Amino acid sequence: MYKTAMLAKDLVAASSKPLVLSILADGESYGYEIIQKVRELSGGHIEWSDGMLYPVLHRLERDGLIDSEWKEADTGRERKYYFLSSDGRKALKTERQQWLAVHNTLSRLWKIKPVSI
Amino acid sequence: MENQTRFDLNTAIENWRQELAGQLNLASDDRRELETHLHEAVAGFQQRGLNDEESFWLARRRVGQPEQLAEEFVKADPAAVWRERVFWMAAGALAALFLFTTTTPLIAIIGYCFPSAGKIVDELTLSLMLWVLQIFGITFLIARGNMNLQSPLLASFIKDRFRFAIMTISVLLIAKTFCATIMLWVYVASRNVHGFNGGPFAFIGNYVFASLVLEPVPVAILIWLLPTQNRKTPKRA
Repeated sequence: MYKTAMLAKDLVAASSKPLVLSILADGESYGYEIIQKVRELSGGHIEWSDGMLYPVLHRLERDGLIDSEWKEADTGRERKYYFLSSDGRKALKTERQQWLAVHNTLSRLWKIKPVSI
Repeated sequence: MENQTRFDLNTAIENWRQELAGQLNLASDDRRELETHLHEAVAGFQQRGLNDEESFWLARRRVGQPEQLAEEFVKADPAAVWRERVFWMAAGALAALFLFTTTTPLIAIIGYCFPSAGKIVDELTLSLMLWVLQIFGITFLIARGNMNLQSPLLASFIKDRFRFAIMTISVLLIAKTFCATIMLWVYVASRNVHGFNGGPFAFIGNYVFASLVLEPVPVAILIWLLPTQNRKTPKRA
């Protein structure tokens, strides 16, 4: 088993926006589930401290990219669900282009096949 | 020596909640969200076979230190806490103004219907009582600053700004028209009502001033700062 380093702090901060927007593009979600999804999809390389996700969500909400609503969950307890807004969908498109541009630049340098943006 | 107390999950969560409530920079909605998260995290660890105590401590560590959390939340939205505080101050001011303008009709009614009671509960005592009550109420609201806005009744009331505005204004208008009518009626029916000095026009003048000039201010603040979670209709995928 090889072990790769955890993502650096500034990269975690920078990638939180596209990650949250992309997860919400698949449908509504709540804090705990978003963190679980990121942990799972990154193979454990991206580890968010749970309490730090909420400031990110609230900032995105204030910027009008996502909306939220308290709803009763199947557990009977209420949860605050987050949705992508139409502005968020546009923002995600931009984020996607920018991140893929970085990805492609690095790919060419590292002689990996770039993807089409 | 064995001195083990049984770990009680509910007590532990309640203590954690108290600790979080001590962070004055956290708005009530933030605290509620973090608490929900702690519950989810505890349940997640329990599902993986950990016992209550282990689950709680791991979840607590994951969520983070209350002081640190408060710091991060404030950085994300520095005005959130103040929005909440001003909201409750405006609510208190509105309640005080409303009670103040409805005290006189109340005393007039008591004085008219029960002349003997009217003498005992004179205007001064009653308004004093009401004022003390208001000051206690407002202090309590500001000190706590975390009224649960998610109680089902309130939640439907504040779901969106428009409905809130319509309902608040209609309730005020109905109550005020009712009070004013009663006042005039009592005045016409008996020209010598206990606790009601000064002509009807002086009263109506004050009444209109309070209703049209003073009360709309807190109402406007309330509508502006209404902590709605869902200002826009979410566009689902």
